[in-house]
Amino acid sequence: MTKAQKAQTENRYKQKQLRKAEFIMPPNTLKEKVGSGGIGNDILNKAQELLENTAVDFQPLAEMYLKALMDGIADVRADKDDPDTESLITAILYPAMQLKANGGMFHYPLVTTIADRLVQFLEVLVKPDEDALEIVLAYHTTIRAVIMGRITGDGGKHGLALIKALDAACIRYFDRFPYNKNSKHPDFDETP
Amino acid sequence: MTYQLHRISVLVVEDNAPMLEITKSLLLTFGVGSVISAANGDIGFRRFCQYNPDIIIADWMMEMLNGIDLTERIRNNPASPNPYVPVILMTGFSEKDRVLHARDSGVTEFLVKPFTAQDLYKRITQVIERPRQFVRSGDFFGPDRRRKNLTEYFGPKRRDADEIPTEQVLKEQQQEANVALQKMRDHAGLEKGDSIDLTPEGKSLSNKRKSPT
Repeated sequence: MTKAQKAQTENRYKQKQLRKAEFIMPPNTLKEKVGSGGIGNDILNKAQELLENTAVDFQPLAEMYLKALMDGIADVRADKDDPDTESLITAILYPAMQLKANGGMFHYPLVTTIADRLVQFLEVLVKPDEDALEIVLAYHTTIRAVIMGRITGDGGKHGLALIKALDAACIRYFDRFPYNKNSKHPDFDETP
Repeated sequence: MTYQLHRISVLVVEDNAPMLEITKSLLLTFGVGSVISAANGDIGFRRFCQYNPDIIIADWMMEMLNGIDLTERIRNNPASPNPYVPVILMTGFSEKDRVLHARDSGVTEFLVKPFTAQDLYKRITQVIERPRQFVRSGDFFGPDRRRKNLTEYFGPKRRDADEIPTEQVLKEQQQEANVALQKMRDHAGLEKGDSIDLTPEGKSLSNKRKSPT
């Protein structure tokens, strides 16, 4: 090692910081107020029971999100030449996310599962072309059928068959248009 | 001994009325003393300034002011009564880059919908039992984004708070590194100055004496 290299190595440990960072540990007033011990399982069970027995009708809420999804599809079709594809996808993605989030909260876990697949599809889609929109429409139709049929469980083997059919449509789409899949996306998974 | 949750207040900000009601009911069942509600981020911030709650639970996607913008306002607005208040963000998104985006806005915890009573309770326990230190750096102010508690760090220390190592300490560190390196060489059957051939032609790790130039 030359003298210059040695000096460089030693200097590496004496570099000035790149950014100033101030660390603050705020007083834990929350802990002081609530103390310790957690809450009992009986209370947790009661809360879960309350969640499972909620009488909220999901149908009007779902209809609202499904309409927003259709509006999103219409927006994409109207602005198909808009270079800002991210905004176009967002118009479809947000209502899909709401269906995913709320289905399971209001006794429709199958809606959550199906909408989750749609969110995953949209998250890696580069450009929402007509073929991709056809897939989104298929998801829309399926979710609507689940809501109208008041399928409140996981749908059993029919539910599974629906999910598999929609998954297969997505796989076929990306087989045909591999360039429309954003492989740089952190959630991108090569395995089918 | 159990948590005295009746001593705290929680602000729930959610534009979906049934979801807001469910979250409120769960918190009241847990024993939370007071649950304040708001139908969007803008109202949420006003209620926050008015009541200064102990925890905020906010939905991400809301009209007017969403959960991320609300969090940024809580952390940075001079009118904020407590910029350190724990914010639990509820959302249907679970994709990594979106979670990172939420984290970078100063959110304390992330609650993915649909959730169970246990999920909500876990996040509340987390903000009570494992509060995170705050960082002010450049244009970021919020909970420390590093989740892992790395107690042992061996790399260069370049922060103001770090002690500057003396020449003697540096020498000792260098010696320790040399000993560790020698152990690795011994283990691999290499000598100082050997290079490793990692090309396909080399097939496996092999050591070649550098030819003198």
